Amino acid sequence: MSLRIALAVALVAAASMGFAVEPGAAAPDFRLMPFAGTKSASLSDYRGKVVLVDFWASWCGPCRQSLPLYNNLQADFPADDFAIVAIGLDEDTADALAFLREHPIKYTALQNPKGDVAQAFGLKGMPSSYLIDRNGVVRYRHIGFEPRDIDALKREIAALIATH
Amino acid sequence: MRSNAKLRRSSRRIEHALRWVLALAALACLGGCATQTVQPWQRGRLARWDMRWDPDPLQAAMNQHAYFSKEGTSGEIGAAGGGCGCN
Repeated sequence: MSLRIALAVALVAAASMGFAVEPGAAAPDFRLMPFAGTKSASLSDYRGKVVLVDFWASWCGPCRQSLPLYNNLQADFPADDFAIVAIGLDEDTADALAFLREHPIKYTALQNPKGDVAQAFGLKGMPSSYLIDRNGVVRYRHIGFEPRDIDALKREIAALIATH
Repeated sequence: MRSNAKLRRSSRRIEHALRWVLALAALACLGGCATQTVQPWQRGRLARWDMRWDPDPLQAAMNQHAYFSKEGTSGEIGAAGGGCGCN
């Protein structure tokens, strides 16, 4: 009887414990619709490039800084080597569209109102970004954003482009 | 007569068992609340301005000022004032 109770407690604990993608693990693939256009995109489309997957939302304060700054980041590296995929997690897509009108971006923005991709990555905070190498392996994870984080990102991207 | 007493005893036992089942089920439900945490990407609604404790910061500051002017003499909020509302 006590064994059964212990098993039940362990099960509930396991179900509630968050799974998170750590650096070194393969990035979970996804296929999502963009905010502009009708053609869906998936992470595997970018295989062979270094990819920055960034999770954002209109209600996320630091995202107001990070999304515009990523425009320059994309411009700093060749499009054949590096791509940014920004995944909007607003439950109401209209909020995200208003945000994108206010902060125009030059890279791919995909929508995930259900949040299942965020779930698959096991986000620990907002915003979160994952730097993925050419083989689809997560190399760096950043939680939160400050403008000076861009310098570290640049170094990491340059290193990943150079290694393969 | 005797079978009637037996019946009563067994029904009481069932009632007792049911009560335990109910209590355990209620306890299990309580634990269920703890497993449903709000995930970082689900905070959109919580971040809305009308979900704030003080939706209007200016109104809150004015209320606070009136409050400590009135209650200052009793040492309600930190430093005491004269209650004149001039600090």
